[in-house]
Formats: sequence, C-alpha cells, structure tokens
Amino acid sequence: MTLFEIFDPKAAPRPIGIDLGTTNSLVARVRDGRPVVIADCDGGKLVPSAVHYDESGRVVVGAEALKLAASSPRDTIVSAKRFMGRGADDPETRRLGTYDFAAPATPEEAKSVRFVVHGRVVTPVEVSAEILRRLRTNAEDELKTVGGVVITVPAYFDDGQRQATKDAGRLAGLEVLRLLNEPTAAALAYGLEKRQNGLFAVYDLGGGTFDVTVLLLDDGVFQVKSTGGDSALGGDDMDRALAHRLLEAMGAGASPGHELVRVALDAARATKHALTDRTELDLELPTRGGGTTSVRVTRDELDALIAPIVERTGVACRRALRDAGVKAADLDGVILVGGSTRVPYVRSYVQELFGKEPLGDIDPDEVVALGAAIQADILAGSREHASDVLLLDVLPLSLGLETMGGVVEKLLPRNTTIPTGARQTFTTYADHQTGFDLHVVQGERELAADCRSLARFVLKGIPPMPAGMARLEVTFRVDADGLLAVGAKEITTGVEQKVEVKPSYGLGDEEVEAMLLAALEHGEEDLASRRLIEERVEADRILAATRKALASDADLLEPGERERIETAVAELAEVARGTKPALIHARVEGLDHATHAWAGRRMDRAIATAIAGKQVRDVETDVAGAQGLDAHLAAHHGDG
Amino acid sequence: MNDPFQTLGVDARFDLDLGAVEKRHRDLSRALHPDRYADASATERRMSLSRAIEVNEAWRALRDPVRRAEALLTRAGVAFGDAGEPKAPPTLLMEMMEAREELSEAAHAKDAARIAGIASRVRDREAGCVERLGRGFDAAAGDAGKAIALLPTLGELRYLRRLEDEISAIEETLAE
Repeated sequence: MTLFEIFDPKAAPRPIGIDLGTTNSLVARVRDGRPVVIADCDGGKLVPSAVHYDESGRVVVGAEALKLAASSPRDTIVSAKRFMGRGADDPETRRLGTYDFAAPATPEEAKSVRFVVHGRVVTPVEVSAEILRRLRTNAEDELKTVGGVVITVPAYFDDGQRQATKDAGRLAGLEVLRLLNEPTAAALAYGLEKRQNGLFAVYDLGGGTFDVTVLLLDDGVFQVKSTGGDSALGGDDMDRALAHRLLEAMGAGASPGHELVRVALDAARATKHALTDRTELDLELPTRGGGTTSVRVTRDELDALIAPIVERTGVACRRALRDAGVKAADLDGVILVGGSTRVPYVRSYVQELFGKEPLGDIDPDEVVALGAAIQADILAGSREHASDVLLLDVLPLSLGLETMGGVVEKLLPRNTTIPTGARQTFTTYADHQTGFDLHVVQGERELAADCRSLARFVLKGIPPMPAGMARLEVTFRVDADGLLAVGAKEITTGVEQKVEVKPSYGLGDEEVEAMLLAALEHGEEDLASRRLIEERVEADRILAATRKALASDADLLEPGERERIETAVAELAEVARGTKPALIHARVEGLDHATHAWAGRRMDRAIATAIAGKQVRDVETDVAGAQGLDAHLAAHHGDG
Repeated sequence: MNDPFQTLGVDARFDLDLGAVEKRHRDLSRALHPDRYADASATERRMSLSRAIEVNEAWRALRDPVRRAEALLTRAGVAFGDAGEPKAPPTLLMEMMEAREELSEAAHAKDAARIAGIASRVRDREAGCVERLGRGFDAAAGDAGKAIALLPTLGELRYLRRLEDEISAIEETLAE
C-alpha cells in the first residue's frame, strides 16, 4: 500500500463518488464540470460486487471473482450489501444462498453476519471494503490521487447499515466525506442535467434493495419530502423466485447443494436479462444426476413469478406519497433507477402505479454514481456554482427509546429533515433507583421488540431519590449522513452523569481499527503514516479556510484578533509539512481556538444575510439579534 | 429547544404564512447546512451542524400547530403540558372514547369509507381549534393572562391529533 502517493504534490487529490451496489459497483468523478464514470484498465465501468477468497488468503474482486463463483460458490461472496449491518439471525441468512456462516461466540458477535471462507471468518464490512479498495485503485489509475469520497447507500438503510458502510470506507483507506442516499444522488444527476424544477418520485429497484423517494426540486435545492422502501427487496429476489422453479426442473430436491444452487441462480439471472428483449428462452441445465435437461421460460411465466415481489414496492410507494402529502397526479415525473427497472414488467407496473411514463434517459446503472460524483465535487468545494446546489435529505425510519412495557416512545419521526436532534426528559419509576437502562431503537412498530435495536446502555450513579424525582435528559443527534449519536444526563442533582453512545451493529471501533491494522502491509508503521496524512489534510483544510476567511470577513475581526490568528497560522504552517502528527494536531487546535469566536460571528452574518435576503442595511440589526441565539446555542451544546 | 420564531427570524404569531416560513428555512439551510462547511475547520463544522439542527427543528416546530402554540406559550411565560394544563373536561373525554369505539368497529369491519368519514370529522374539528388558537393568540398579543385561557383549546387539539394519528395508522394498515 502506497499511502504517501496520495499526497503527491504534483497531482491534487480529486474527489470521487462511489455507488456501492448489491450486484455492481461503480466509481465516478467530475471532469470539466460533467460527471463521468471511471472505467477500469479493460474499459469496464461496472465492477461486479463479488469477492473471492482463495486458499492462500489471496483476494480476487470483480468480474474475475464472479467467474470463480460457479466453481467455488462458498468462498465467493456476492450481494454482500444485503448482509451489511445485519445480525447473525437475520432472515437474509436463511434465504436461498450458497454461504456458510460462522456461529456467533458472543451476543456482540451475533449482531453481525460472519461468512466462513476457507476456514477464515470475514464480515460483510470487510467484503465491501475489498470492493471499495478495488474502485479506489481504478480511480487512482486515472486520477493519480484520490481525495474525499461520497458513498451512496439505500435511502431506507437504518443506522447500523449506514455505520457499516462508513466503516467499510474507512477500512478501504478512504476519507468518507458523506453517505448519500441513492435516490437523492439520482435526482441530483437528473436535476442538474435537465435543469428541471418540480415534484419528482425516484423509483430505485436494485439488485438487493428498493427505495422510493419523493422530492421537490426548486432552483438547486433538492428537498426530500419522504422516503420509503425495503432494504431486502430487489433483483436478487426475482432471481431466487425463478431459481426455485429451475431447481425443480433440475430435479434438485430439498437440499440441492451450493454448486447446483449457484448454477440455478446464475441461469435465473441470465434468463431474466434475456427476457428483457424477447418473450421466451430455452435453457440447457444440468440435472442432479449429472445429465442435462432443457427448460423453456416465457416472459409471462417470469412476470407471474416476480409479480408478488414487484407488488411489494407498490406498498412503499403509496406510503411515501401519503407521507409527502401528495398524490401521484401531483408528480411532474418519475425517475427510474437501478438495473432491475430494466425488467419490462417493472416498467409497466411503475407506469400504472404513478399514471405516467417514467423517465429513464440516464443509464439506470450509472445515474447514482454520477450523482455521488457531483456531490463529492460540491463538498470538496471545487464546483463552480457549488453554493447553488443543496441536498436536504430525511431520516428514513423513526428513532425512539423503549419505555415501560416495551413500548417505543418516538423521539424523531421518519421523514424528519436531517441533520436533526431531539431532547426528551424521562424519570425514574422505582424508589432509590440509581441506574437507568436505555434502549435505543429504530423502526415504525409500536413495540421495541419489533424494531431494530441500535444500542443499549445504562446511566449509572443517580443519587437515591423517591420514584419520579430524578430527571433524565436524553438527547438524540442525527448528522447529515443520517447517523445517530445519543447522550444522556441526570439533571436534577447537578451531579452530572453523562454518557455518549454511538449505536453498534456488531463491529466495534476497536475491531475496525484492528482490521485496518491487519489490512495494512506494515501494520503500525502504515497506521502512523496514515495518521500523519490525516493530520496534514486537516492542517491544510483549516489553513486554506482561514486564509479564505481572512480575505472575505476581515471586517468582523476584533482588535488583536487578527494578530492572534496570524500567529497561530504561522505556527501551524511551520509544522504542517513536518512528521509529528501530535504536534500538527496541537497546532490545528491552537488555530481552531484562535478563530473560534470569529467563526461564530461569521456564521451569524451568514444567518443574518440569509434572513435579510442580502440587504446589508438590515444585516446589522439582525446580527445583533442573532448573537443572542448564539449564546443560547453555546449554552446548550457547548460547541456552538 | 430555542424559540423557533427567533431561530427562523419570523414574527412570533400563530397565523403564519407557512410558505414564507418554508422559504426562510430553505434560505437558512443554504447558509448553514454542513455541506456548506465541508472544507471548513472542525469548530465551524460542529457549529454548522448544531445550527442546522436548530433551524430544522424550528421549522418542524412551527409547521405543527401544537408545537407552534407551545412556543408562543413559552414566550408568554405560560406553563403547559402536565405542569400547567387543566384536566380535559369529561365531555371531551367521553366524545373521544365514543370516536375510538366507532373507529375500532370500522377498522374491524375494514370499512374504509366509514374511517374516512371519522377522519374528516376529526380534521374539521382540528381546523376549528387551530382557528380559535389563531384568533386567541392574536388577541392575547403575548399577554400571559389571556394566553392561559387558550390552554383548554390546545388540550383539545392534542386529543384530536392523537386520534388522527391512530386513524392514519389504521388507514395505513388497511392500504397495505
């Protein structure tokens, strides 16, 4: 691994966008103001999301791995995305498939699926990291150095699935700028291409996931109104439905074995693809006894097999429309995304459901990656009109806490615009209770047991008081990636007991760090150089941001402030190219500290300008008003 | 929660032009969203996250008539919720109970038309509460004594909202 090359001063790092798909993955970037998919050395754009592990521990990714799936189905993981952030007992592990799973040794391990490949245990996060690494290499071949990355996720991914995806990015040595919802990415690519305003639905049926998003495009603002879906519904399920029928024809019986299942799944997928352009297909299939049999599959037959799967998307679509408070007739267009929308039956179903011809003029396989590249470009600040474009996305599933009787108290309802937060006060129910159990869940069901469990923790050290006297304040914060952080403190006694938790999906921070270490050729040494690189990136970022701000907002500096900031800038610049990460870190913090108050004033002005519609006359008075708000914020968040 | 009117810089009144408030929310999002500060210092990134959360929360509060009323009561220094609201009158409780019974019968019979009828009655009544609150807050003009008189109407609206949520949940189940 050549980490230092990333910061080759001759080639500026370029942001990239990655569509980490169930079936195929792509990487894209913006070139001359337009998003383009980066092809690998063979000219291929789609990298099959397949990872093969061989006996010697070598890892093969992409088309080559897919070829090996037929001969070694157990050691070739495809559709790893369907297992991301899922537990060992997830129904997905019991569906028709070709893998061996490791029995979890601890309850914590049970929170993540673990595959067994050649006696070795790998998690879906590690499999995804291999795919991301391959995409990164493809991008580096073209760009020399890769900067930050935007990785797309299904809008309906829950917190655990998002966290797992972000960890996979980290494991692949990528700086993840943002997780972006796939339908929003697609809308971004469409919206910017067509310069269209209006209300749109994005229907995204991929290999393993289904999303529907209703959003309003208004002069560069992409405001998501609602989202819905199913993170275990897609083309794979169509393949399975057909594969069951083929296995019957192959005389496979009740337990056909991994090889025959792989053959049936591959044949099913090929048949599905072929029936896009024709109405029937004849297949030659191996039988269990070692012979062959011929099977004819017609499009009508395929349609009948997949109809129940496609109809499940209709439920999510109707709910998304209802949540957005709109009717199908109000929509200006329906955008098709995902390879499975090529299936003729899906197209006609969508047309009937929404009552209009869907748009599909950008390649449904590429559109998500293109949108991710645009967003990466915007976040890296390189886009010319970056300030004209803004994505306002939502929380896909409600977040809440388990209360008495196992009932969920929702703190944040689904479809709340992110970033967001909520605060709720709870009290003790028993006399002299000194601890408080908190169970954070995600989902729409009334009972905690039916929702996704995100975290359990205990707030200890509450002084003994009669029941109902203690006041426990729980705070939820969801960032722009849709990731949750929870805080809790007891507020009556003044003895502040505070906990901050990040939900875990089965892989802890330490475990990810250990994997990272293991993935690096020179372990500790590489990790140290990586830390140095990260500190340098942060140093460069804050130096550039400070210089830019000094040029534009010097009028907001107080006497003596400029001198203090300039000293801190000089001190940081002096060490930024050095080799001591701790020193760079300390100087970054020094500059951060020196610019803190001024940053607050600059943000106040940004607010005042937005409120005043850029009328400088009004800005002065509004700034005075906004400062009260700032003090309030600082008191509440400590970091405002 | 901060004063959502102040956060969004709009007049503190119950009868808001929600279209204008939405536009203000969007303008502020353009200025504050974390995407705008992706290449800024760590402090600024945290600051932008906190403020974007405040702005989103304020917009969510002002869109909701119950929370809008609560924000106005807070400004007037009037306690609400368990701490300040009078108990609901027995007639209201009785009506709610009857409505629930009718609803559960209709749900059991999967009678979508009857459920829609109940829903429309509830919504009409909600609209009435919202109108009374609008007039009341206008007349109170921030006066605590006059604002207290609005607590029963707010209580009624809360009950109606809860009922409407139940109706939506039933409608959702029936649609699926």
